[in-house]
Amino acid sequence: MVFSSLTFLYYFLPIVMIVYILLPDRAAIGLPKRKKFIIPARNLLILLTGFFFYAWGEPFYVLLMLLSTAIDYTAGRLMYKYDNNQKMRTVFLVVSVCMNIGLLAVFKYSDFIFDSINGLFGTDITNPVILVNRAINNNIYDFGLSEDRVALPIGISFYTFQSMSYTIDLYMRKINVQKSFIAFTAYVTLFPQIVAGPIVRYEDVAAEIDERTVNINKISEGIGKFVKGLAKKVLLANNIGIIWTQIKAMDYSEISVATAWIGILAFTFQIYFDFSGYSDMAVGLGKMLGFNFPKNFDHPYMSKSISEFWRRWHITLGAWFREYVYIPLGGNRKGMGKTLRNLLIVWGLTGLWHGANWNFIVWGLYFGILIIIERLGWGKLLEKLPTVVSTLYTFLLVIFGWVLFDTNTLSDAFSYIGAMFGATGVLTDNTASYMFSTNIVIFALCIFASTDWFTTLVDVVKKKREKLVMYVTPVLMTVILLLCTSYLVDATYNPFLYFRF
Amino acid sequence: MKKKNRINAVNFITCIIFFAVLITFPVITVFTPKEKFSDMENRTLQTMPEASAKTIFDRSYMNKLETYISDHFAGRLSWIKGKTAVETAIGKYERNGIYILKDRLVEKIDEPDYTLIDKSIAAINTFAENNNVPIFFMLVPTSAEIYADQLPAVAPNVDQREIINYAYEGFSKGISTIDVYPTMMAGKFDYSYYRTDHHWTTYGAYLAYTAAGKQMCYTPSDIDMYDIEHASDSFLGSLYSKALYDGVEKDTIDIYHRTDGDNVTEVLVTSEFGKEPASYDSMYFRNYLDVKDKYSTFLGTNQPIVTIRTESNGGKLLMFKDSYAHCYVPFLTEHYSEITLVDMRYIQMSYKQLINPEDYDQVMFLYNASSFMSDINLRKLAYN
Repeated sequence: MVFSSLTFLYYFLPIVMIVYILLPDRAAIGLPKRKKFIIPARNLLILLTGFFFYAWGEPFYVLLMLLSTAIDYTAGRLMYKYDNNQKMRTVFLVVSVCMNIGLLAVFKYSDFIFDSINGLFGTDITNPVILVNRAINNNIYDFGLSEDRVALPIGISFYTFQSMSYTIDLYMRKINVQKSFIAFTAYVTLFPQIVAGPIVRYEDVAAEIDERTVNINKISEGIGKFVKGLAKKVLLANNIGIIWTQIKAMDYSEISVATAWIGILAFTFQIYFDFSGYSDMAVGLGKMLGFNFPKNFDHPYMSKSISEFWRRWHITLGAWFREYVYIPLGGNRKGMGKTLRNLLIVWGLTGLWHGANWNFIVWGLYFGILIIIERLGWGKLLEKLPTVVSTLYTFLLVIFGWVLFDTNTLSDAFSYIGAMFGATGVLTDNTASYMFSTNIVIFALCIFASTDWFTTLVDVVKKKREKLVMYVTPVLMTVILLLCTSYLVDATYNPFLYFRF
Repeated sequence: MKKKNRINAVNFITCIIFFAVLITFPVITVFTPKEKFSDMENRTLQTMPEASAKTIFDRSYMNKLETYISDHFAGRLSWIKGKTAVETAIGKYERNGIYILKDRLVEKIDEPDYTLIDKSIAAINTFAENNNVPIFFMLVPTSAEIYADQLPAVAPNVDQREIINYAYEGFSKGISTIDVYPTMMAGKFDYSYYRTDHHWTTYGAYLAYTAAGKQMCYTPSDIDMYDIEHASDSFLGSLYSKALYDGVEKDTIDIYHRTDGDNVTEVLVTSEFGKEPASYDSMYFRNYLDVKDKYSTFLGTNQPIVTIRTESNGGKLLMFKDSYAHCYVPFLTEHYSEITLVDMRYIQMSYKQLINPEDYDQVMFLYNASSFMSDINLRKLAYN
């Protein structure tokens, strides 16, 4: 299930929220804090709804998620049990980390690995995962598992990273063990963040898992965040995405310079509003349930350097890699040589995390190299340049990154970049003018919404007309909610007219 | 303290509105009767799926349930119209392949595939070679061409003049081409194309009928010879269904009755081969005036073969056609004793098993440019 669907918005969400609010809250019914049977009610609901939410999209691989959760939970309990035995603790950590990385290797990277081997050695080895799928389908029950390519279980990159954060932090003694299986599973299956982040580390919500309050003000704040995210996804990302879908499918040796730029700009906005919209919705839903998730985006397109961009884009992923890869490798404290090596490892992995494809690896290393160059002194110079120049510099490099990111092959990426620089010899054409002129409002809204101008504007008005802002907010929320609904309903409008009759 | 109360009140209202919206629409949806068929979209709506291990594991249950939920969402068409209105307001004038012009909708035509057109031309030339009978070809531009001047210059719009010329130049000498392009252009300020449908109007067909008279050797009747009946003034056609845009006036279905009386004696409709054709005494199927698809008032829906017999002592006409012919044919009844309409989309065998073109005095092809350029059935005329 996705947040931006009528099913989620008009059935799942209201039902879950009403039951959640009605379930007894310890504080509300005046019970002492450590009465065990009360708080699990809400956690149990989170667990069950999360299971349902996930199984809606992955009716089979939901078992995989539960298995991974059970192993991490057990590893945690065992680490706690053998608190004095460092060797045993290490063993349990290794088991947990290997299992999570193993799941990723099998379900995310195995096709890529076997394709590469087969391509390199001219062999024809079938991915064993496919053989297992076939065996399950034929001998146990036909679950309809893919027998051609390995299907990536939804959200696997997110939930494996989240559970790993628990066992690693526990090993590092940064957090306390979670003894309740329900509470731990609720953390993993927490439906707002299970499929697309933010990557909520256990540490971030450790306290709230055991103790949280829900009240009108928090729910209202959550609604605001959620509707904002919904608008980003449904009104901006989906609409600007139509342009990129069309241009991406064109022949890159024929498109004009203007078309190429419009296309990749459209994608630049699409991916930002899609992803940050989803994160906003997750943060908002988290608030409604009483959780405070970390921020995932902070106006990244206003960054003045690539290093800054990555501190503002998918913040929780960057933080994860810094915490669990970069720093353990020694970070920047072991000399320039090691620092550069560590940066390249982290950025190669960041690229690979996005998908099993050379484009992503090159995309990650591209940013790694840019960040290294900034580290080596270019960053200092950038700071001295006017904001317009450094912002534009960053934005352009990010745009070229998106070409690598979203074209199908590296050679496609290079011919697309060629088209952006006039390789086709045509500056502009009707396609470009048509796409631009009919989408000018959407482009303008996207530019505006990428900046912090709106928040600044609201703050200014708030100082003078506080009441006005206060009263307008719910009205605006309602209008946007209804507008998003009409776009969601329309997405299913499917005229099937015998047109030629 | 007062300020804090006010914040709480606003937050409370926010929660109430949000959940009120989220609860109201599903509740209305659940308690209203479910339509089985959407007239507007001409498709069957999703019914409540049945859950089983198989349908759950292959996810078809979830997919169908989501479709079910959106297909029956309360006020569905109004939501969609609301979206169209917003899109139009922000400068988008294309929707589902329909351009929204100032006072009408026109269908956006895709770039032609000339290999398809070449195949049709070759087949028609073969047909002309095999049959010793005068052949006439009429290609009618659609409203996207006629009203192209109302479209912004950058909007992609196929040049139909070019396509018609390309076809006409490709036909062999024996085929007489009837050029109604200038006639239709000249008629653009009259009501010659529907505003909400992809067909021409009865008046548009009348203009073309007049223009073809000289070549096809009949004297077209003067417009005064008809009593015009406004059979319906609430026609919302196929373009409306696609765009769901309410800013265009509804269309009128006009039926032209000859003042000296209808001379049609029998209309024979073959809907299935091997079965006796159904016989009717009129070309007008007035029951369609009460449903959405009002254009089908003219000769009903598309059928493989329709034969019209009249009291006229004129010759016999064989016509290969698309639905543009349906409101055109009534004008011909006074000039021909028998008119046979053949829709090649439904003919899978050789046409020779059904008809012998040489039994007719004239053969006419009537297609609109858009359906001609994407046609994949005319090529069957090359079969023996």
